[in-house]
Amino acid sequence: MSKYAQNKTSWGTSYGELVWQEFSKSWLSKICLSFIVFLFTLAIFAPFLANDKPFVIRIDGQLHFPIFRNLQPNDYCIFLAAIAGCLQLLLIKRNRRRIDPSIRAAVLWRQICINSSIVLIGIILLLIFVPRRLDARDYKALVASDKATDAVFAPIPYGYGRTNLKLREQPPNRQHWLGTDDVGTDVLCRLIHGSRISLSVGFVAVGISTIIGVMVGAVLGYFGGKVDFVGMRIVEIMMAIPAFFLIITIVAFFPRSLLNIMIIIGITSWTVDARFIRAEFFKLRKQDFVQAAVSLGLPLRSILFRHMLPNGIAPVLVNATFGIAGAIFIEAALSFLGFGVAPPTPSWGQMLSLGVSTTGRFLWWLSIFPGLAIFLTVLAYNLVGEALRDAIDPKLRIQ
Amino acid sequence: MSTYIVRRLLLMIPTLLGITVMVFAISRIAPGDPVSLSMGPGGQMDAERAADVREARMRLYGLDKPVHVQYGIWLRRVAQLDFGDSIKHHRPVIELIKERLPITLTLNIIAFVIIYAVSLPLGVLTAVRHRRFFDRASSVVLFMLWSLPVMWVGQMLIGYFCGPAFKQWFPPAGLNSNYADQLPFFPWLVDRLWHLVLPVLCLTYAGFAYLTKLVRAGMLDNLRSDYVRTARAKGLSNWAVIFKHAFRNSIIPVITIMATLLPAMLGGSVIIERIFSIPGMGWLAFEAVTTRDYNVVMAVATIGGVLNLLGLLFGDIAYAIVDPRISFESAV
Repeated sequence: MSKYAQNKTSWGTSYGELVWQEFSKSWLSKICLSFIVFLFTLAIFAPFLANDKPFVIRIDGQLHFPIFRNLQPNDYCIFLAAIAGCLQLLLIKRNRRRIDPSIRAAVLWRQICINSSIVLIGIILLLIFVPRRLDARDYKALVASDKATDAVFAPIPYGYGRTNLKLREQPPNRQHWLGTDDVGTDVLCRLIHGSRISLSVGFVAVGISTIIGVMVGAVLGYFGGKVDFVGMRIVEIMMAIPAFFLIITIVAFFPRSLLNIMIIIGITSWTVDARFIRAEFFKLRKQDFVQAAVSLGLPLRSILFRHMLPNGIAPVLVNATFGIAGAIFIEAALSFLGFGVAPPTPSWGQMLSLGVSTTGRFLWWLSIFPGLAIFLTVLAYNLVGEALRDAIDPKLRIQ
Repeated sequence: MSTYIVRRLLLMIPTLLGITVMVFAISRIAPGDPVSLSMGPGGQMDAERAADVREARMRLYGLDKPVHVQYGIWLRRVAQLDFGDSIKHHRPVIELIKERLPITLTLNIIAFVIIYAVSLPLGVLTAVRHRRFFDRASSVVLFMLWSLPVMWVGQMLIGYFCGPAFKQWFPPAGLNSNYADQLPFFPWLVDRLWHLVLPVLCLTYAGFAYLTKLVRAGMLDNLRSDYVRTARAKGLSNWAVIFKHAFRNSIIPVITIMATLLPAMLGGSVIIERIFSIPGMGWLAFEAVTTRDYNVVMAVATIGGVLNLLGLLFGDIAYAIVDPRISFESAV
C-alpha cells in the first residue's frame, strides 16, 4: 500500500489520466458512458436475455441445455472480443501501478497489438471450426404438452427469427412488452438482438475509416510537396461527392451484407481524419524531436507512428466518437431505405421502416421503440464525443 | 484575384474527372446491369429469345462495349452537356433534372433561411449568456435535436399529424393535393406551403445546432478580445458593443459556410424525400440507384460534384472578400 502511494506521488499524471479526470468531471458524460456500457452488455448477452429456447429443460428424464448448445459461431466471436476488451481494461489499470509513465504508452500499444491479433486469429478459427447450429424444436410446445418439465426460459422467451402470423402487429401487451411486428416476432427481442448490428457497425466502420485516414494523412503531412498535392486531389474527390449518395450507390450496387455496409461506411468517411492528421503532421515535421528522430536514422514507420502520431492522435479519437454515432445513423438510414442487412437479422432501422404497415396503418410501437433506441445510442456517443473534445482542449483546462 | 479563381477552376477539372471515373467504375464493376434488372427472371420467353432481346437492349444502351470505351463515349457526350437518356423513364436525363431540381431547391432554400433566422440570434444570445442557464439549456436541447434520426422524426410526424392515430393536420405525402392545378394562384400557394411544412421541419431541426455553435464560438472569441474591452471602456452601450463590434466580426465564418452547406443539403435529402414522397433530386437519385439507371446516377453524381466544388470555391472567395486580413496570394 505504502509503495503504491509513494509511486503515485512520484510519477505524476499522464496525459491520458488528465483527459480522463477532465472527462469524468461531468455527470452527463458519465451517464452517457454507462449507457453505452449497458448497451454493450445487452448486445453481448443477447442470446441469454431474449431467446425462444430454455436454459435448462428436462425431456424424458434427461437434462438438456438448449441455449448453450445453440450458440452460433458469431456469438462465440462476440464473447471472445468482449473478454479481450475487459482484459485490456484490466491491463490499463495494472499498467498505471506497475509501469513507468515514460514507457507506458509503448507498453500499452504493444498490448493492444498482441491482444487484437489474438482476437482476430481467434475469430477466424471460430468461424472456420465451430459449426452453425439449427435447432427448430419448439420447446414451448413440449412444455405445454407435458412432454418436458423443469424448463427455465430466458427473461424474454421469444426468438428473433421465429414468426407467428396469428400474433402479427399486436400493440404492447403483457406477453409482448413492446408489441409484435408484421410477422409476429417480439419487438423487444428484436431490439436487443438489433443492438449487435448497430454497435458493431459503429465500431468496425470507424475503425476502418480511422486507420485509412491516419495512414493517408500521415504520409501526406510528412512528405508534403508533390505527394501531398496528388493526395489532396484524391481527398478532394472523396469530399466533393455527396457522401450519402455515394454510400447508397455502392450499397445498392453490391451484394447486401453487414460486412459490406461496414466497409462502405469506412471507406467513404476517412477524409476528415486524413485532413486532421495531415495538418498536425505539417506542424510537427519541423519540430526538434522529429528532426532528432530523423537524424538518428530511425525507420520511417517509427518516425511516423511512434514519434509523431501520439502528438496528433487526440482530435482523431474525438472525431472517432462522433464517427461511431454517424455510422450508426447511416446504418439505420440504409436499413430504413431497404438497403440494410437482409431479414430476419434484426436491425433498428429496418424495424423502424415497419412502423407504417403495407396497408398504411401507423403502428406506433414499431416507430417509437426502435427510433428511440437509435436516438439514445447516437445521442450518447455524441455527448461522449463532446465531453472528450472539451477534455482534450487545453484552453478550457486553464480556466 | 482573377488568377486565383482561374487556378482554382483549372484544379476543379481533374477533381471532377476523378469523381466521374470513380462513380463510373463503381457502377460498372458491380455485378448486375439495368437490362437484366428490368427484364426480371425471364417470364414466358424461351431462353434463346430472351438472350437475343437482352443482347439487343445491351447494344441499344451501349453496354456491350468495354468499360473504358463506354466511359470515353459518356465523357464526350457530357462535354456537349448531353447526359443521355434515362433507361427507366425513356426521357433525356437533363429534362428529368430540370423537373426535379427546382423542387429540392425550394425545399432547401426555405429550410436554409429558417436555419439562419433562428441560429444567428440564438448564437449571439447564448454567447452573451455564456455559462448561464439559458446557454446550457439551449445547447443541450440543440444537441438532442442534432442527434435525432431524421427518418424517425419524419415517420412520427406523419404518423401523429397526418393520420387517424392522433390529428390529421397535415397532408402525408406529395407537394400538392389532387387537382391543385385547377386552383387559382393564391390558394395553390397555400396548398403547396401546407404540404411543405413537415418536410421543411425535418430539414431544419438538425441544422440549428451546428450553426448556433459556430456563431456562439465566434462571438465568445470576439467578446473576450481587446477591441471589445476598449469599446466597453469607451462607454458604448451593451447593444452597440455586441451588434456593432463583436457580431460583425464573428459573422465571417457563418457567411462562408453558407456556400458549402447548400450543395451538401442537396444530396442529403434522400431520406426526407422518400418519407414524404416528394419528387425531388433525392427521390430521383434513389430511384436511379435501385433501378441501375446508369445515366441518371452519373448525372446526379456529376452535378452534385460540380455544385460542391463551386460551393467550396465561393466559400473561399467570400472568406477573402469579407475578411481583409486574408489575401488570395497566400491562400492557395
